[in-house]
Amino acid sequence: MTPDYSREVGIPRVAAIEYPYGRPVGEVNDVEGQRKVLLEALSVLEKAQAPGHVFDLPFTWPEDPKNTKWHPPKISPIVKLQLEEIKRAGAEARQKP
Amino acid sequence: MAVSEKIVDGFHFMPPSLRAWLSKDIPKEAFHGYIPWTPLKRPLKKTTFSLMTSAGISMKSDPPFDVKREIREPTWGDPTSRNIPRDASQEDIDVNHLHINTDYIKEDMNVILPLTRFKEFEEEGVIGRLAPTCYSFYGFQLNPKELLDQTMPGVASRMHRENVEAVLLTPA
Repeated sequence: MTPDYSREVGIPRVAAIEYPYGRPVGEVNDVEGQRKVLLEALSVLEKAQAPGHVFDLPFTWPEDPKNTKWHPPKISPIVKLQLEEIKRAGAEARQKP
Repeated sequence: MAVSEKIVDGFHFMPPSLRAWLSKDIPKEAFHGYIPWTPLKRPLKKTTFSLMTSAGISMKSDPPFDVKREIREPTWGDPTSRNIPRDASQEDIDVNHLHINTDYIKEDMNVILPLTRFKEFEEEGVIGRLAPTCYSFYGFQLNPKELLDQTMPGVASRMHRENVEAVLLTPA
């Protein structure tokens, strides 16, 4: 889900998927969709021949990120604590070309 | 779901400000440290699996993950783990996690702890078997020392006792 992190802590095999936080296997009660994701992830075990390989799984989540309700109902304690820093990081990023 | 060539963007669902803030802590250079490596010993259809997720899932019969302390101490995350028996039902589990919407897991835990799917794979001969025990811990660990030094050795010992050969880790 965040392969950037996984790369940096040295995970033996990563099956990266662009699905929302909290639902890496798929949608609720979507048996076939979940099976496809898991079978692809299992295939990574057979394909990976050396440590540190990241395999990008070929699935696309059907909702736009703005409509994907992965967020907790209340702002998390750490985000609440760091909110000003987070806003500042966002503002700096927007200023970069 | 559509299938296509894809480069996964791990921050795809994240608001831009949060993405920018979190990205600052990810080193730009590639990882050059030691990575553990255990080759797959036998085909999947003969391999014993376990599952482990950072989703904060617990059995209702066990204490829940301690999110109350995290609310008081925002840089602390519960460093313990919980065993989830392979035959745990949806009604048996509780989910406590302050960084995601847990409603989906409470409706169908297979979205992150796919016990039912792996039991189907076992039945169909896709995998050898699913071990008796699967695991959850809590995925907010700014300092993972206690998780790694105190909690995970016990998890690893139990996996050894149950002859686990491969583990699917699903992050929250």
